[in-house]
Amino acid sequence: HSCPMVLRIAELTSFGAGASASTHQPNSKFTQQELPACKPILTPKWVISVFLLVGVIFVPIGVASLLASNKVVEIVDRYDDACVPSNVTNKLAYIQNSTISKTCRRTLKVPKDMKQPIFVYYQLNNFYQNHRRYVKSRNDQQLRDASKANETTLCDPEKTRDGMAIVPCGLIAWSTFNDTYTFQHNTNNLSIDKTDISWKSDRDHKFGSDVFPKNFQKGPLIGGKTLNESIPLSEQEDLIVWMRTAALPTFRKLYGRIYVDLKENDTITVTLDNNYNTYSFDGKKSLVLSTSTWLGGKNDFLGLAYLTVGGLCFFLAFAFTLLYLIKPRKLGDNNYLSWNRNSAGH
Amino acid sequence: MFTLITLYSTIIPISLYVSIEMIKFIQCAQFINNDLNMYHAESNTPALARTSNLNEELGQVEYIFSDKTGTLTRNLMEFFKCSIGGEIYGTGITEIEKGGAERAGVRIDDDEDKRSATAVHEKGFNFDDTRIMRGAWRNEPNPEACMEFFRCLAICHTVLPEGEETPEKITYQAASPDEAALVAAAKNFGFFFYRRTPTTVMVRESHVDRMGSMQDVAYEILNVLEFNSSTRKRQSVVCRFPNGKLVLYCKGADNVIYERLADGNYDIKKTSREHLEQFGSAGLRTLCLAYRDLSMDQYKSWNEKFVQAKSSLRDRDKKLDEVAELIEKDLILIGCTAIEDKLQEGVPACIETLSAAGIKIWVLTGDKMETAINIAYACSLVNNDTKQFIISSETDTIREAEDRGDPVEIARVIKESVKQSLRSYLEEARRSLSNTPERKLAFIIDGRCLMYALDPALRVNLLGLSLICHSVVCCRVSPLQKAQVTSLVRKGARKITLSIGDGANDVSMIQAAHVGIGISGQEGMQAVMASDFAIAQFRYLTDLLLVHGRWSYLRLCKVITYFFYKNLTFTLTQFWFTFQTGFSGQRFYDDWFQSLYNVIFTALPVIMVGLFDKDVSASLSKKYPQLYQEGIRNTFFKWKVIAVWGFFAFYQSIVFYYFTAAASQHGHGSSGKILGQWDVSTMAFTCVVVTVNLRLLMSCNSITRWHYFSVAGSIAAWFLFIFIYSAIMTSFDRQENVYFVIYVLMSTFFFYLTLILVPVIALFGDFLYLSLQRWLFPYDYQVVQEMHKDDPHEYSMIRLPERSHLSPEEARSYAISMLPRENSKHTGFAFDSPGYESFFASQQGVCVPHKPWDVARRASMKQQRQQPQRTGRS
Repeated sequence: HSCPMVLRIAELTSFGAGASASTHQPNSKFTQQELPACKPILTPKWVISVFLLVGVIFVPIGVASLLASNKVVEIVDRYDDACVPSNVTNKLAYIQNSTISKTCRRTLKVPKDMKQPIFVYYQLNNFYQNHRRYVKSRNDQQLRDASKANETTLCDPEKTRDGMAIVPCGLIAWSTFNDTYTFQHNTNNLSIDKTDISWKSDRDHKFGSDVFPKNFQKGPLIGGKTLNESIPLSEQEDLIVWMRTAALPTFRKLYGRIYVDLKENDTITVTLDNNYNTYSFDGKKSLVLSTSTWLGGKNDFLGLAYLTVGGLCFFLAFAFTLLYLIKPRKLGDNNYLSWNRNSAGH
Repeated sequence: MFTLITLYSTIIPISLYVSIEMIKFIQCAQFINNDLNMYHAESNTPALARTSNLNEELGQVEYIFSDKTGTLTRNLMEFFKCSIGGEIYGTGITEIEKGGAERAGVRIDDDEDKRSATAVHEKGFNFDDTRIMRGAWRNEPNPEACMEFFRCLAICHTVLPEGEETPEKITYQAASPDEAALVAAAKNFGFFFYRRTPTTVMVRESHVDRMGSMQDVAYEILNVLEFNSSTRKRQSVVCRFPNGKLVLYCKGADNVIYERLADGNYDIKKTSREHLEQFGSAGLRTLCLAYRDLSMDQYKSWNEKFVQAKSSLRDRDKKLDEVAELIEKDLILIGCTAIEDKLQEGVPACIETLSAAGIKIWVLTGDKMETAINIAYACSLVNNDTKQFIISSETDTIREAEDRGDPVEIARVIKESVKQSLRSYLEEARRSLSNTPERKLAFIIDGRCLMYALDPALRVNLLGLSLICHSVVCCRVSPLQKAQVTSLVRKGARKITLSIGDGANDVSMIQAAHVGIGISGQEGMQAVMASDFAIAQFRYLTDLLLVHGRWSYLRLCKVITYFFYKNLTFTLTQFWFTFQTGFSGQRFYDDWFQSLYNVIFTALPVIMVGLFDKDVSASLSKKYPQLYQEGIRNTFFKWKVIAVWGFFAFYQSIVFYYFTAAASQHGHGSSGKILGQWDVSTMAFTCVVVTVNLRLLMSCNSITRWHYFSVAGSIAAWFLFIFIYSAIMTSFDRQENVYFVIYVLMSTFFFYLTLILVPVIALFGDFLYLSLQRWLFPYDYQVVQEMHKDDPHEYSMIRLPERSHLSPEEARSYAISMLPRENSKHTGFAFDSPGYESFFASQQGVCVPHKPWDVARRASMKQQRQQPQRTGRS
């Protein structure tokens, strides 16, 4: 019958008979929804204090970041157009013709004193390293482990050459940047330190020290840099840098460091091999020389953002104080209750 | 292209569904079922949520359809007063009179000590009058009438006695509690009905000439003319006294009995009529008692016809009625009884609170109009200032048509009058609404007129009038009509409706409404089985709607909008990235980030909000019932609200994406090394997780330590995850994109500066919006929060009353409330009076098992079954 059912349900819900009601303690703060709680109310006092607090914290950080960023000296030189002789009309044919020497000379002027180390970057524009099919065209196991050299899944379309697995396989490795730079300062050659330009974790763990390039760039179409087959991948730092794919189509990659202080108005001569084909997709190439601070390279953005937010907070704190004075509202005013507003005949 | 679209699948996460189900389930299982405010200690009945789908609708109910008997009233019929031979006996004051007096400003002391020693209060009997108790009636001016009165009560019924045959131990099984109350009254007056056999009724009479002497009298029951309110509204018994005297005892509705009285005795008839009206206005149910002495010849000739009618195969009911008419005439009025249909505890206060909350309460009852209006009055649904629009089938024009007897003509007349009154009332109501908007309006209609008013042509007017009126009372309605009225409002007005009832006749109504509530504990289980929620008392609706419903609504609105926000934010960052990947469909985030975002990193806090968020405490929710209107108006789930969330999601996603992506262009840290795509996305994801979790904290009205744990835990879970995930190389993951990423990131200042900057900028807009909104356009709940912000934290913990500490009064009411449950095993049907509702039940083709003859037959069977037991014991 249905009646005993009620009792059973009642017992299940931990009430039970009178005796168990006292022992079971169903009236916990949880079930009675009376857990102690803090009840924050955004009173004007709170709002103004929060704004002031944020302002006080953010403005100094902003100033510090901006100062740091201003200390950085940066030289950017776009050379993709300039390094193609002006009489060449078909740039694509020019860059693809491997018989022509593509050496190019650029002169850079140092705008301000540059303290060592000076970082040498190359910057590409309009290069979609984050394209889905590009990003996945690599095989990390193959890069790491010599025994998995034949592991080329996902490496389309650069998997094998004449039936032999390509190491490193995939589009990313194939398209490694291969322009080279040499610098001269007052007729002295500036040596470029190309060690430790990649993240240590990549060198130690993602690229094996016993994995050597094989069958690489042997196809009819050469994408970029060819690798020395006697150097293990973990020491091919240009490759390692390249293979940490960039997030945006405009990106910089570290090329090397120069451990020389440069003076204002010094001139630097750059001799570069303009090998890398960005002409087929209207990409731009630039050479960047930059100093660095605790924050990194030239980055006004962070400092400006901090300063703007801090300033805005001060302004809003002020605005809210004004609002508080101009349009005061008594806290918990009965008249603001909707049912009182209606009956008051508004 | 397809790849691109699947990137945005996170916008509607499967975890939304799971989380909401979980929240609702816990709200039901832990909060509603365990709420001590809704726990009825006397009957040991907690509230019971039978479904977990409707929690938030509890917070948006605008119309409540309530049954009367057993819901508003206790379904405890107590013999309360009587009028014998033109004299009123009984000194009690009904709840209704008390409520009325209190509204009029008179305090009535309800002191139990003042009761006289003769006062008896047991099941079905709550009567006190020294003049007739304990045999004192013999000294009254009219002892003969008193004796007939009591004898009539003891004989004219279809009640079965059960249990030991002593006045203390016996229990009465009756098809209606009224009958049981009447027999119990007879017992207390010294006419103890203790045994029924198929042909006799045994009554232990302690009247006879000498005080104290008892005498067992066996009255032979010759015929029972059963109660059938639709046509007869009376019940008669022909019995033979031991001395051979033949008497017909009759009880029934006042108008039917008065039509059949013998001439003469106008004084008594007049005073009794006045008494009837007096009882009626006090909300009491009345019955008139009458008798007739029969001669042997009269009876014999009549009995032949009766037997013939009874054995006829066609139209037996009709023939029986006709035969009954022949003998039920020239009756002599003895007096009338008044039975109190007790209001449930706290009903008037509850209804007042619910009305203040903007909920309109409709009473749908099978009772007669006068009783229904009385109950409505007692429940504060209607008061003296209320303008009443009454559509009744008891008007002169309709009666005239009825007298002519042509059913088509009757229907036409009723329809015409319903149509006219609906139209004129609607106009009047509109006028009243525009001229004096504060005046309350009530609409009262009976079932017969309702049948015509529900006609498609009149339905619009009916709905229009009903929606204008603050309260509506439908009386004498059938279960089907209850459902029709409910769906009329549900479909016509498109409002959330709630039905509450306790009996089988409410099942259709309960099922027709959005939310069905069954009263558990009293009657049978049909209503509870059909319901979504079961509560023990009507007054618990306050807690169920104003506290649980409102909170559930607020919480679920918050949960859903927050889910929308957090997934929109997350997905939009992906969306912005798409523009810079040449629309190739490259994922911004690692697959694991994306999969675990909803499952781990943002899952728990939102559930905490769904469980614990409280804008104002339970007691304030009830103190300011108007807060409930925010739910009725659906304030927190409007397009506007969603648009605001959407706008800030949009803004935040831009901040997340561009602020982190911008950083990838430069070298970071003094080593000058460059970050890659996965570094940027991990940075962005960290910002998203931190911000989204902090945003939740900002939208909380009350922050418990669970909130802190879950928010801190979620953020910590993300870091824990990424620390482990970037430290290992799994064989399942062919691309170790995020290997060591977090450590690389954390070696730069950039990481920390961005982690502070981005969440602050992202939440900046929300914070500004919340501050301005609160200051300039505060919600009601926010004002109430401010009013009570300095209140100490309330621990209104209710302790369960210890059983041993029950006061005698509580113990008694506990005992009483336990009783009907046992009864309900046998009766099952929730008909509060034989007739009024069984009429409708039979009309709807529902079988009514409790015909008097069934009762008598069962009595004989029961006796046979019990026989061996009894002998064994002796």
